Amino acid sequence: MVSTTSRPLTGQPQFDTCDPLSPRRLSQALLPSSHDSHDPQPSTPAHKYLGRLRASVRVTMATEDARYRQSSQYRLWSFSPTHLQSLREKTNSLAVSHISSRLRASSPPVDPLPDFLTPADEAMLLNFYIVDLLRAAQFCELPSEIQATAAIFFRRFYVTNSLMTYPPRALTMTCIFFACKAEGLYYRLQKFADKFPGITGEEVLAAEYVLCQGLRFAFDVRHPYRALEGAVMELRRLGDFDEARIVRAHQRTRDILKFSPLLTDAYFHYTPSQIMFGALSMADEGLLQRLLRDAFSGQSESSKNHVLETVQSCRAMLEKEPPERRTTFWDASGSKEAMKPLNKKLRKCRDPDRVDLVALQKARREQALQKTKGKVATKDDSDVFGASNGTVKDDEREAKRRRVAAGADMFGPPL
Amino acid sequence: MAVSPLILHPTSALQNTRSVSSPLKNAASTQTSSNGTPLAIQVVPNAAAAAQSTSLDIAEQLNEDEKRKYVKGKKLGEGTYANVYLGFLRSDPSQLVAIKKIKIQKEYTEGMAPDAVREIKHLQELSHPNIITMHSVFSSKDQNLNLVLEYLPLGDLEMLIHDTEHIRYGAADIKAWMGMLTRAIWFCHQNFVLHRDIKPNNLLIAADGEVKLADFGLARSFSDPYRPMTSNVITRWYRPPELLFGAQHYSGAVDIWSVGLVLAELVIRTPYIAGNSEIHQIQLICQAVGTPTEENWPGVTKLPDYTVDKEVIPLRGRDHYMTLFGTLGAEGVDLLMKTLSLDPKKRITAHEMLKHDWWHKDPRPTRKQDLPKKSGGQAKVGDDLKRRPGVIDEEKGNKVARKLDFGATK
Ligand SMILES: Nc1ncnc2c1ncn2[C@@H]1O[C@H](COP(=O)(O)OP(=O)(O)O)[C@@H](O)[C@H]1O
Ligand SMILES: [Mg+2]
Repeated sequence: MVSTTSRPLTGQPQFDTCDPLSPRRLSQALLPSSHDSHDPQPSTPAHKYLGRLRASVRVTMATEDARYRQSSQYRLWSFSPTHLQSLREKTNSLAVSHISSRLRASSPPVDPLPDFLTPADEAMLLNFYIVDLLRAAQFCELPSEIQATAAIFFRRFYVTNSLMTYPPRALTMTCIFFACKAEGLYYRLQKFADKFPGITGEEVLAAEYVLCQGLRFAFDVRHPYRALEGAVMELRRLGDFDEARIVRAHQRTRDILKFSPLLTDAYFHYTPSQIMFGALSMADEGLLQRLLRDAFSGQSESSKNHVLETVQSCRAMLEKEPPERRTTFWDASGSKEAMKPLNKKLRKCRDPDRVDLVALQKARREQALQKTKGKVATKDDSDVFGASNGTVKDDEREAKRRRVAAGADMFGPPL
Repeated sequence: MAVSPLILHPTSALQNTRSVSSPLKNAASTQTSSNGTPLAIQVVPNAAAAAQSTSLDIAEQLNEDEKRKYVKGKKLGEGTYANVYLGFLRSDPSQLVAIKKIKIQKEYTEGMAPDAVREIKHLQELSHPNIITMHSVFSSKDQNLNLVLEYLPLGDLEMLIHDTEHIRYGAADIKAWMGMLTRAIWFCHQNFVLHRDIKPNNLLIAADGEVKLADFGLARSFSDPYRPMTSNVITRWYRPPELLFGAQHYSGAVDIWSVGLVLAELVIRTPYIAGNSEIHQIQLICQAVGTPTEENWPGVTKLPDYTVDKEVIPLRGRDHYMTLFGTLGAEGVDLLMKTLSLDPKKRITAHEMLKHDWWHKDPRPTRKQDLPKKSGGQAKVGDDLKRRPGVIDEEKGNKVARKLDFGATK
């Protein structure tokens, strides 16, 4: 192989590094320009020869999509609708069986068992709490990107965790606080907790670890806002529309993007630019058509139709939760009435041991501490990544680990 | 005064939580719901049981699977916020990895360390041959974060630069190393990530000689230019003038300045602008490059911490750089000068760097497998790593001592 160092111009980013172990990925079909993925290498000939104005939307889409396929959002957090549904069903049934046996094993055993939330109940309640989360995030005057990141963290967390397992109200706080951290906005814990009467810093942090694990350590969320700014610039450059119309569509699309994709599964199924186009199509279909006509000039009808179909299906999803729903439903008494029975049901069927996350967190820490002190010779003690901070202990443990690795006595001499 | 939105919901699950978790409440007489079903919440909570629970939810299961894939071995080095261990794949012990275990920071009481969050966030997204690969992240039972990184056994660029006794290299080698660094930083900037700690010590070397940009503990995205950023980033010697002057809005140009100083250091084999305080650093920049003024950098005097000596030193000319860095050739010197432009707006971008003529001039860059490698055995690596400084602007004394060490131990 010719050393890449001899050709510094062709820094070849690798795009096919998708984790083979990640959940089944979004079908290629959902990516509009997968047939057309440009190498984002800056001096690619295609980039040179296409007219600048013409090419910009398409190239933007293409390079964004190529880059998008490396993102954790795509690798770890994109699913086909059926896969997502089956994950949620699995999460729900795992929680039900765990909580059932926990309740049956308590003394006296709980009999009959409570009604558990169904996956459909969980989906309803999830949105109820997301609206709550958005309210709290707005109350903190966070930028909309961070609000959206917090909401998506929450949605992702509850793909693999049931609302019955981890209390959603506590998680809304943790998601907001952690979203600030992940976005590089440093909110002091105390200042944050003080905003919400009855919430302590300890409670905000209690679920942080569990959250990170639930997020599969993917802290970067790709939003459609930047794509919107690009599209609006492009519309202005095209010069076919009067400014008032563009401004109106821009505002409307932004409003949609700040709400609808967060209350639906759009982020799990579509790329940021697809979501943006879906929202733009809701705001002003004519503008969308004009943009796509331009972007796909000189391309086959079928590839354009393909994109249109995707955008329309995304739009249909977003239309289930248009921004008006916030006032007409979520903020109205109707939603509280509708949610009351579900919240009541939740209180009866939740995991009794995980209701108090602060206590849970303390218990976890204590166990870790005991393990470091070497007081408990449980099976976990052979864990190759046990707790230890001191170097001396590390060495001892290291010796032990090497033995373990070598297949020697798993637990060492009795303590 | 605005009212917290949360109190709009007096029936919130959290508020109930508290009464439920109270031991007294649990002892209370059996409550029944309207339909006569006993409430599950009378069950005595047992957080310890949950913490020990063997039944794992999906996320815990995934985490457990990841954790079990690796076995941790000896300590390789210590950073400011992490210890790095050698590790291997349980299923194939010949596959080595580096496991970076985040230290629990006693002083930081606000949950997960921001450095760890930044590093994980960015390494998850960046996949490029010249950027260290993160294979996986998992948490251990004690809630320590572990980053599984590709193992880079051949030390770092700093070790090569300073081992003047054993390591000889030339312009072709420098060009190869710089090519790899420039591609790495181009890729970061393409992906809207600022590294903010580029220095020889964070450029690790793979077994095949490939340079890998590592240590993303200070990185951040710059997607929204309106949000102010801290100017207290980048190790002082590699910190650009705009940050020394306290700019809170900056761009990829900050990394480019550091890249330029890595290039200079590769040539002269000692840090080019090594101030022992921020003020000193500015003075040295003025001497090495020239005094920043409104003329050569419009707007500079408006920066929050702008201070320079009264005596204005004119911008250094090409001749000055040729004397010091002539081994790079005229093109190489041109590139260096463009990275060291005082005004960040006029500084060359990573993209422009890649298009520079230098790469195509003789000598051609050395093939990576032919690049000079660090001398000494494995044991030495560990020793060197122990003396490694931290990320942010550490005291100078340390650095000087370490430099002397290099001479003394050889
Ligand atoms: N992938 C790796 N392979 C081998 N050694 C490594 C690896 N990553 C880090 N190290 C060594 O461990 C030390 C600490 O790592 P680093 O990432 O720089 O931590 P910090 O961010 O705290 O400075 C470094 O000096 C480095 O040489
Ligand atoms: Mg370091």
